[in-house]
Amino acid sequence: MIRLATDVGGTFTDLVGYDERNGELFTAKSLTTVHDQSEGVLNAIASSEKADGLIPRDVTFFAHGGTTVINAITERKGVRTALITTAGFRDVLEIGRGNRPDLYNLQFHSPEPFVPRRLRFEVRERMNAAGEIVTPLHERDIAPIIEACKVEKIEAVAILFLHAYANPAHEERCARLIAEALPEVTVCASHEVSRQWREYERSNTVVLNAYVQPIIRRYFERLEAALTRRDLTCPYYAMQSNGGISTFDQATASPLTLVESGPAGGVAGAARIGQALGEQEVLHLDVGGTTAKCSLIHDGRPTLNVEYKLEHSRIAPGYPVQVPVVDIVEIGSGGGSIAWIDERGALRVGPQSAGSTPGPACYGRGGTEPTITDALLTLGIFDPKSFAGGSMQLDKEKAAAAIRTVGDRLDMTVEDAALAIVEIAHASMINALKLVTVQRGHDPRDAVFVISGGAGPALAARLGRELSVKATIVPPHSGIFSAWGMLAAEPRADFRATWFSALSESALLEVLRRFAILERQAIAYFGKGDEAPIRPTYRLEARYRGQEHGVVADFEAADTIESFSERFHAAHEKAYTFRLPSAAIEITTLHLEAVLDGPVITLPALSRDGRSIATAVKGSRTVYFGAETGWRDCPVYERDLLPLEQEIAGPALVEEPTTTSLIQIGQTLRVTSEGIMVLRDATSGQEAR
Amino acid sequence: MLSGSRTVDPVTQEIIEGKLMATVDEMGLVMARTSMSPVIYEILDFACGLLTADGELVAQMNGITLFTGTFGFQVRALIDRFGPRLVDGDILLSNDPYAGGTHSCDFAIVKPLFVDNKIVAYAINVAHYLDVGGSVPGSLAPNATSIFQEGLRLAGVRVVRAGEFDSDILHIVAENVRMPEIAIGDLNAQIATVRVADRRVAELAAKYGAETVLAAFANLLEGSEKQARAAIAALPDGRYEATDVIDGDGVNDDPIAIKVAITIDGDQLVADFTGCPPAVAGPINCARGALQSAVKTIVKALVGPQAPSNEGWFRPLTVICPPGTIFTAEKPSPTGWYYEGSVHASELMWKALAPLKPERFSAGSYSSLCVVYIAGKDAHGEPFIHIEPQHGGWGATPTQDGAGAIIALTDGDTYNYSIEVIEARFPLRVRRYGFNVEGGVGAGRRRGGYGVVREYEILGRETTAYGSFGRTRVAPWGMDGGADGSVNMLEIERHQGDTERHGRVAHLDLDSGDVVRIISGGGGGWGDPALREPERVADDIRNGFLTTEDARKLYGKTGGVA
Repeated sequence: MIRLATDVGGTFTDLVGYDERNGELFTAKSLTTVHDQSEGVLNAIASSEKADGLIPRDVTFFAHGGTTVINAITERKGVRTALITTAGFRDVLEIGRGNRPDLYNLQFHSPEPFVPRRLRFEVRERMNAAGEIVTPLHERDIAPIIEACKVEKIEAVAILFLHAYANPAHEERCARLIAEALPEVTVCASHEVSRQWREYERSNTVVLNAYVQPIIRRYFERLEAALTRRDLTCPYYAMQSNGGISTFDQATASPLTLVESGPAGGVAGAARIGQALGEQEVLHLDVGGTTAKCSLIHDGRPTLNVEYKLEHSRIAPGYPVQVPVVDIVEIGSGGGSIAWIDERGALRVGPQSAGSTPGPACYGRGGTEPTITDALLTLGIFDPKSFAGGSMQLDKEKAAAAIRTVGDRLDMTVEDAALAIVEIAHASMINALKLVTVQRGHDPRDAVFVISGGAGPALAARLGRELSVKATIVPPHSGIFSAWGMLAAEPRADFRATWFSALSESALLEVLRRFAILERQAIAYFGKGDEAPIRPTYRLEARYRGQEHGVVADFEAADTIESFSERFHAAHEKAYTFRLPSAAIEITTLHLEAVLDGPVITLPALSRDGRSIATAVKGSRTVYFGAETGWRDCPVYERDLLPLEQEIAGPALVEEPTTTSLIQIGQTLRVTSEGIMVLRDATSGQEAR
Repeated sequence: MLSGSRTVDPVTQEIIEGKLMATVDEMGLVMARTSMSPVIYEILDFACGLLTADGELVAQMNGITLFTGTFGFQVRALIDRFGPRLVDGDILLSNDPYAGGTHSCDFAIVKPLFVDNKIVAYAINVAHYLDVGGSVPGSLAPNATSIFQEGLRLAGVRVVRAGEFDSDILHIVAENVRMPEIAIGDLNAQIATVRVADRRVAELAAKYGAETVLAAFANLLEGSEKQARAAIAALPDGRYEATDVIDGDGVNDDPIAIKVAITIDGDQLVADFTGCPPAVAGPINCARGALQSAVKTIVKALVGPQAPSNEGWFRPLTVICPPGTIFTAEKPSPTGWYYEGSVHASELMWKALAPLKPERFSAGSYSSLCVVYIAGKDAHGEPFIHIEPQHGGWGATPTQDGAGAIIALTDGDTYNYSIEVIEARFPLRVRRYGFNVEGGVGAGRRRGGYGVVREYEILGRETTAYGSFGRTRVAPWGMDGGADGSVNMLEIERHQGDTERHGRVAHLDLDSGDVVRIISGGGGGWGDPALREPERVADDIRNGFLTTEDARKLYGKTGGVA
């Protein structure tokens, strides 16, 4: 009857509830409780009980996204973990890949491993690449390791043997022996979390999985107990990084699948909005306080990044993990990002952020550096009185003073400097948005552009115009979009397995057989029996012989060599601009994406009563559009009162409690019958790429 | 305003610079994802860049340092050769070491980028080809005595004419290399990248106007130049010298003494290599383009390590070296293993400048890429070549122990090769990949980082190997009282039981069951070992890096560990 989602962010915990009986939506916010995030979740529920009369007993679906896993990793607060590996290879985890992306830094160091050398143990055993035993498992090597783990008070043991993706027998046996001897200890073997090759990446994956598993298990236990005490006893789901949800038990077995659960909620929401509009290609941008994140939904499905790395940057190798994570490009431009002048005298924005304390200068909490929020206020886009639903008065003078600190050095007026700050942020967002589209072979003109986050809708119209998207979309509840998106997510699991073969008739038969095995795994994973409504998608990663990195192409049961080859050539050409029709094709990885059909949030038609331009107008504001156009008067509308399915000409401002949208000169706005704002240019989706 | 004199507003300037970086990154991504040779996709032995119409570098991807300073030289040589004959759609190919290139294996693909019938920029992609013909598989005979033993030479040709492939050139390439499918695949990948650059620069010109884009190039270069001059001016004026020894050239084993004298005068830096020996018989010579690159690598480390690279940073730099030396080899001196020579030019600079700005430098590192080529036939009788540089130990810094197992200075974003992937691809089994604890590191208040030991058991037949290792006799230097590090070596453990040791070796026949053991050295220490804190010594003992016996010997303490 009631579907509830809670999203724990850095500062706030958001709650969105949806009453299926009447289509009503309610929201609540509480402060995030850092020591135990479940307290903040319960506080948000309590405030919904008070404000909206939520009855926890009526909740039939509970989705949860949090940062427990990622925090344990970034703050190095996981448990004491040991690694058992093939004899001769205990340093693989520390050596990593040995690359120095910080080319000219002669003091460069690789990232520290999560298990120090003295807690990395070796066992004699060996498989080859075909999964055949070369050296049997020497079980007597394990006894001293068990003793050492006791002495060192180890709480989790990760196991990685070479080629276990091809044959896990030795890992399974070793895990059983450790679990029997050390029943209190968490044991994770690499094949349980990844069936892909590359020993360093897989070791890192299994080590991090073991490192956080006891933490997330205890967290879910606390949360479940607290929810049960509150009489909220429906199935509980966790938001996963792949854009789907899983049960708490599934998530506990594989906690690394939760690393990017917050942003993935937004991606799931963007896919849902696309579906409501009948659009398969969706470009999503979420502008938060310190960063902006963008991702692409292709064919109605979020795109996955197969080489996800934690703590990675242009100059830091980071920690690669082999778990399915939505392909998100993150850049350091958010509402709180600080504008500054670099040593050459050039204007820069971010990645430093004013955060929530002191916050932008206009918050009046002691911040003096100019931020994007200060710029938006100075340009007239934000209203000092109605910001954040009127809960916070913004100080225009303080914003202007902060902007002047860079404006004076650039010899610019305050408004020109404010616009320059916004332009720089725009440009870096455009580069990131092009990275997930044009540079990966997708055309933004085919996509709708869904923008969310506090500062997002203020920037949306210009970004959409520059990308020539079909339409720019401001979804309902864009300020709490991640939580809303969790109500749109379905149970999903991804099974990826390295399997290496030249493309041939017999290989295609083997592919079918292997997908059938993966499908049985999916059925077992969901625990619903053979009739479960599972929607499988088969994909093959393939490459031209000699290449290392493949491209992913859909695979169909009826595929012949010709039909699959053609799809592969086309995918290669789309991604990299060329095809090699005479080169041999090799298959490297099978990928089964399994989605369990489930009810997701509906977007009910809104009532037209009481809606009109006249009732929606709440005043007007002058907005600065640059030196040529200057200041222009813009009507200010209340979003909830705008008429449905009617064209409204820009320029205009549309306000709602969590955000403000700017409609540019020459654009039109239409609110759909479901309350989605659609912005279009006369030339939308037509300009040259 | 920006330091440049051209009128581009600062916002447009910043946006254009962002787009230039996005463009070279995109070129790199396309190359790494589509190449057919592991040297490129795994080791990332390639680089992409954009240059002005005069051949000054404006943007370069983050790849390897070997190409820090070669692009300008190379493009200017092609401008001299083709000049006004270039038309829109032409794409050039060159692998001439004496015209700004490096060695024959590196194919440079260069495309003039036209806007309104005028060249506004050049795009370049240089990539290491797995094989370009010549006397041995992989083309780099460690004992070559002439460039003509090092494979096919295409010293500036048009591979695409006005948008159409020149099938004669493709035929020449395909008929002169050992693995034509891979070579032609990589050529396609390279051409795709310069075409991407063409589109992106055209977009910039369409949006802001070609004049604005050109002015932004000029501003960018002037801005970096100004920063570099300020950084050099902050250093004390004076003359700084360093000497070193190269361990043989592949033909002769004799030590080769080399030196540099650096003069800092105001905001200028002059590096003078006068006095270095004439070009040697073996292929560790480098030509002037590679010398420029080696020197610029250290200058960049000195003046602005994290900022994007462009020619502006190097305007205050003058490199002096008479022609025909080991660092300025001329035709037909062999240059196949040029990086084994050029890295020593970098290290001379490094050694001379480290005392001036210790916060940017470390003590000596293992330096040599310790590359081994293993070639033979796989289980299906198909030929294979496995080429691999090794990671090793770097020197300590004044504040930190040296980094263990990272790639040598000449490379950069270079990955080691996955064991599981190697074993699925080649008839080789890796028996060990771990820190070279036995060889040790330079002791010091901060110690050096550990090198690696990597062992390959040969599984196939008809297998041969060759390699060229530097720093096999003269160890990485210590700083400020720190001890020297340990040396690199190549060992062959025959299946019958005897073991051989090599440095630069031109040919090894290997049998099934033989083991190739590659050992890279540990870095030099920094500061007096007696001053090392007991808890750091104890940590090294507990982690198995140090025995208590060695701890007593080197540091006079064990930190309380029995």
